[in-house]
Amino acid sequence: MKNGPQVSNAAQLKVSRVGMKAFQMVGAYVKPTTRLVQAFGHAAMRARIVLDEVQLHRLLGNEDFPMELDLEKGYVIISLENDMILGLGFYGHGRLKSQIPRKEFRKTMIRAS
Amino acid sequence: MQPIFEAYNEIIPDFSLFQEVLHKPLTPHLRVNRIRIEPKNLFQLLKKRGIYLEQAVEMDQPFYLAPESISLGNLPEYFAGYIHPQALTPCLASVALSPQKATYVLDMCAAPGGKTSHLAQLMENTGVIVANELYPSRHPGLGHTLSRLGVLNAVVTDYQAQQFPLKQRFDFVLADVPCSGEGRFRQIEKSFIYSERGSKKKLPDLQKKIILRGFDLLKEDGLMLYATCTYNPEENESVVDYLLKNRAAELLPIDVGLDYEPGICEWRQIKYDEQLKKTARFYPHRVDSVGFFMARIGRKR
Repeated sequence: MKNGPQVSNAAQLKVSRVGMKAFQMVGAYVKPTTRLVQAFGHAAMRARIVLDEVQLHRLLGNEDFPMELDLEKGYVIISLENDMILGLGFYGHGRLKSQIPRKEFRKTMIRAS
Repeated sequence: MQPIFEAYNEIIPDFSLFQEVLHKPLTPHLRVNRIRIEPKNLFQLLKKRGIYLEQAVEMDQPFYLAPESISLGNLPEYFAGYIHPQALTPCLASVALSPQKATYVLDMCAAPGGKTSHLAQLMENTGVIVANELYPSRHPGLGHTLSRLGVLNAVVTDYQAQQFPLKQRFDFVLADVPCSGEGRFRQIEKSFIYSERGSKKKLPDLQKKIILRGFDLLKEDGLMLYATCTYNPEENESVVDYLLKNRAAELLPIDVGLDYEPGICEWRQIKYDEQLKKTARFYPHRVDSVGFFMARIGRKR
């Protein structure tokens, strides 16, 4: 949303929500929201990993998911092979954990094999 | 068997065919969200899942018939914001309004957000949309839809639509007002019979207040779209006629690439302005979707 007369006009209204929630604090980390990552994750230069549907199925099932990545501990962007960005994972100690909201994205939405 | 909506026998053409359609389930449609993906790229993804989409309209709009066997909300493409399940005729409201890029737009009754997100798509996520929704209980759903579909140019307010502050003017106003929802009704189960609840009788008064306020919020060269999903002339032509009698408004032609019936100019011995012929009535036996009404409104020059 570019600053301009329209934004100034809208600012005069009693507004309950603006644009898209971008970040939230989780402990010491600034965590991008799933929707922000889906919207802008394509522009990320690093910390992106691509999974196939079988791998994603395992990840969503909370199975132990060892993965050696040349990354520091922190959030990574998870996408499917077809460049569909789903959201975030948390990488650390050679393990990847899903941060994709479970209520919205379920294992049953992808093929297991 | 008692016909459904028998009161409209005189105004709905091919009434028996209309009755037949009311006993069939609604055909699901979806809109491809061009904010996130182009239709041709989506087709490739869905093809891998064995899902094939059929174009719903001939014009260059991303509306498709959805396969009935597929639960759209269970597709990764839904979660990723690539698709939005939406009935076809309500999609046409945003098309009829066609807001331009970088404009200031008001959606007076925005929840659940399908049309708001479609407006954002047509505006290519530029400008500002004020998505107004009175009921706070509907805000989470509205916010979720806008976020999922990648809408960045919307702010949400919670005014009563008929009392939206007059301190500013908009390039485009969408008044998709609360209505009796007759157009969505299908008699699938015998026990499910359409009934008019008491509160619905008050709707025309509310709709008249909203249409006047929406018009007053327009810029000089602004454009407004009034829409309902009902067949009831008292919520459609009568409301628009009330606007024409009370404001310097004029009705503009509607071209959305689908056939529709013109609005009526008389109902129960009450004559309406001849301009009402420029409004559009979509019937489910003509267009395989929900019954819908729309009027495209500008200031008289």
